Amino acid sequence: MIKHESIETNVGLLIILTLIVVSIGGLVEIVPLFYIDDTIEEVEGIRPYTALELRGRDIYQREGCYLCHSQMIRPFRDELLRYGHYSLAAESQYDHPFQWGSKRTGPDLARVGGKYSNEWHVAHLNNPRDVVPQSIMPNYPWLLATDLDYSDVQDRMRALKVTGVPYSETQAEYDANVTEFGADVADQLDILRAEEHLMQQALAGNYDGQRSRITEMDALVAYLQVLGTMVDFSKYDEGYFAEFR
Amino acid sequence: MPDWFLWFTRFENTKVVALLLFFTTFCAILIYLYTGKKRGKRLESYKYMPLQEDEQDLNAANGGENETHEPDKR
Amino acid sequence: MAQTGIGGVQQYNYDIIKKFAIMTLVWGLLGMATGVYIASELAWPFLNFDIPQITFGRLRPVHTTLVIFGFGGSALFATSYYVVQRTCQTRLYSDWMATLTFWGWQSAVALGAVSYMFGYTQSREYAEFEWPIDLIILVTWVVYFTVYIMTVRRRSQPHIYVANWFYIAFILVIALLHIFNNLAVPVGLFSLKSYSLFSGVQDAMTEWWYGHNAVGFFLTAAFLGMMYYFVPKQAGRPVYSYRLSIVHFWSLAFLYMWVGAHHLHWTALPDWTSTLAATFSIMLLLPSWGGMINGIMTLSGAWDKLRTDPIMLFLITSLSFYGMSTFEGPLMSLKSVNALSHYTDWTIGHVHSGALGWVAMVSFGSFYHMVPRLYDTRVYSTRLIYLHFWLATFGIVLYITSMWVAGIVQGLMLRSFDDYGNLSYTFVESVAFLHKPYVWRALGGLFFLSGVAVMAFNLFMTIRRSRTEAAELETRIAVKMARA
Repeated sequence: MIKHESIETNVGLLIILTLIVVSIGGLVEIVPLFYIDDTIEEVEGIRPYTALELRGRDIYQREGCYLCHSQMIRPFRDELLRYGHYSLAAESQYDHPFQWGSKRTGPDLARVGGKYSNEWHVAHLNNPRDVVPQSIMPNYPWLLATDLDYSDVQDRMRALKVTGVPYSETQAEYDANVTEFGADVADQLDILRAEEHLMQQALAGNYDGQRSRITEMDALVAYLQVLGTMVDFSKYDEGYFAEFR
Repeated sequence: MPDWFLWFTRFENTKVVALLLFFTTFCAILIYLYTGKKRGKRLESYKYMPLQEDEQDLNAANGGENETHEPDKR
Repeated sequence: MAQTGIGGVQQYNYDIIKKFAIMTLVWGLLGMATGVYIASELAWPFLNFDIPQITFGRLRPVHTTLVIFGFGGSALFATSYYVVQRTCQTRLYSDWMATLTFWGWQSAVALGAVSYMFGYTQSREYAEFEWPIDLIILVTWVVYFTVYIMTVRRRSQPHIYVANWFYIAFILVIALLHIFNNLAVPVGLFSLKSYSLFSGVQDAMTEWWYGHNAVGFFLTAAFLGMMYYFVPKQAGRPVYSYRLSIVHFWSLAFLYMWVGAHHLHWTALPDWTSTLAATFSIMLLLPSWGGMINGIMTLSGAWDKLRTDPIMLFLITSLSFYGMSTFEGPLMSLKSVNALSHYTDWTIGHVHSGALGWVAMVSFGSFYHMVPRLYDTRVYSTRLIYLHFWLATFGIVLYITSMWVAGIVQGLMLRSFDDYGNLSYTFVESVAFLHKPYVWRALGGLFFLSGVAVMAFNLFMTIRRSRTEAAELETRIAVKMARA
């Protein structure tokens, strides 16, 4: 007969049993997510971030935006009206780490891309109360004043490549990206020409309204403007996404 | 293999199987703990552990007390 | 008097406990002051002062890290080293290893807080430490595990007391969580920045498996270990039921690990996962309340102690808050309730009823019991303990009520429609409503903080008095010797 005393008097046994007991829950819930095909929808249009958007995302993390803004729209009527179609798993498949958030002190940003003009974003980030009088968001004036540091953007892309994001370094990888995403996007995902493309996108987009320089504002607004815009929902009927929930 | 056994191997039944398993284990633990007067008494006797240390502290204190007196003897 | 000393070698290593105890108060004051400040930033945004380092987004992880890991972590190190030595009747396995855990832990907390202010964060809630700090924590934790287990192995009792089971489970689980949740690829050897190994759904699930079990094992199991030692000690009677504590331990350890996904209801996480998590969250109510009953009933037959002993008041109130928040938790994990409560301040209120009401209150009670014993003296002022108790309780009540109002009203505003089926309120209208609850919340936090300041003063005076007492004793002995 096994006695509970044998556990209480043997620390090794106590450790082993505790480890077994606590492992079951995590294993059952997490491991299948990596293997079950239904976890992530197959949709067209989702691509990794460009170098400029990636740097913008880094700034989004640096400033702790995720603490007040979620990026996860739930399938409710009010959220559909306020934010748009509910978020798909596929839409954050290149998000290392995810930015779903846990609190909405401000509104959800999963589909903020294209909703406002660049000028609005710049004014709003610089001083939110200039455009939304009741806002309680901090001002971020330093974004406009600080030049974007993109000296290590290639290293950043390489690190992400290790995690599985299809940024390309070799010709073969580039070709694979052309097949998968098309030539324009494949160019943006090319690590070796990342700095060049970053400058091009920032100058062409002129997100911060200052032609002469590339600031952190350029990067952050470029990131905000791409959020939630990759999937064309008119191509799919609602039943398709429901299968994955 | 009998047919009824195959039911357990079906993927959609695993949740039920797991729950049954865990629940049985839980009940077994409860039965083990709460049946048998002797076992119960024995198990409950361990709860005095943190209180017993005080007696030892007291002994230690007495020992310590003696030591502080030691120089007097010299 | 000389309970610590026999001959030259001390029976227990109290020195390390004193260090951790003092840092508990330091981090508590700093972390809660940060909390009051960021709460005020939400009420009066001008307080961000356009200084990057003190904007809400950067200070919020500073607050959570200082309070959870600085205050809570140091309290756990202090009490676990105290409990393991006393229940095993043996000295800590290794003094230098214990000292290493002290410096490792304190430097991780301090470096973490500073690094967030300068923008280095993994942006995973409660695991914001960037990778070099994660490594410091890992080393510290392995040493902690070694010290703890080896001390248990040296025990002079055949049995390992139940408080130690909870501490051991806490050490094991935090190791598991820390390793798997912080798997990341650094940008470079000399770059603080790293990217999480997982993405999207898997990353979210891993993070909240971590996040909720940090609550479950850091902020619950470990503090239950505290409860199982300090409540019986302070009451002077054994815990209500030893068999209940066995059921409590195993079912809590098993069930907690399933419930993390209830933070991800209605998201892109597959439904089966969050539904399963919700089911287990409901079941978790049973062991939680079992533990609460076990703690509170320890006092059965001696209820009058609540009238005469303010330390008991702290401990029993903490258990009541534990009971309340472990009831509220399963309620909020129901998908229908969660649809309203999630993303609102209700969650913030829930966390604080657990963190302030349970975690902090049980620590305060334990510290008022432990610190005088460490310094071989009595508490400086019992009246100040009462004052602390009422400041803390009033602060918590103010805090959680304002957050209930904030969360529930905002949730209702956001989902209300007019007769034509349009949304009744814009988002920012709900923000405008929140101003008053935010002011009340900051005020509640301020009350709680001032309680901790009272405690710090009280314990400081206690320690100071113990020094004068010791000096007096020495002179008396010297005089005696001179006469002899």
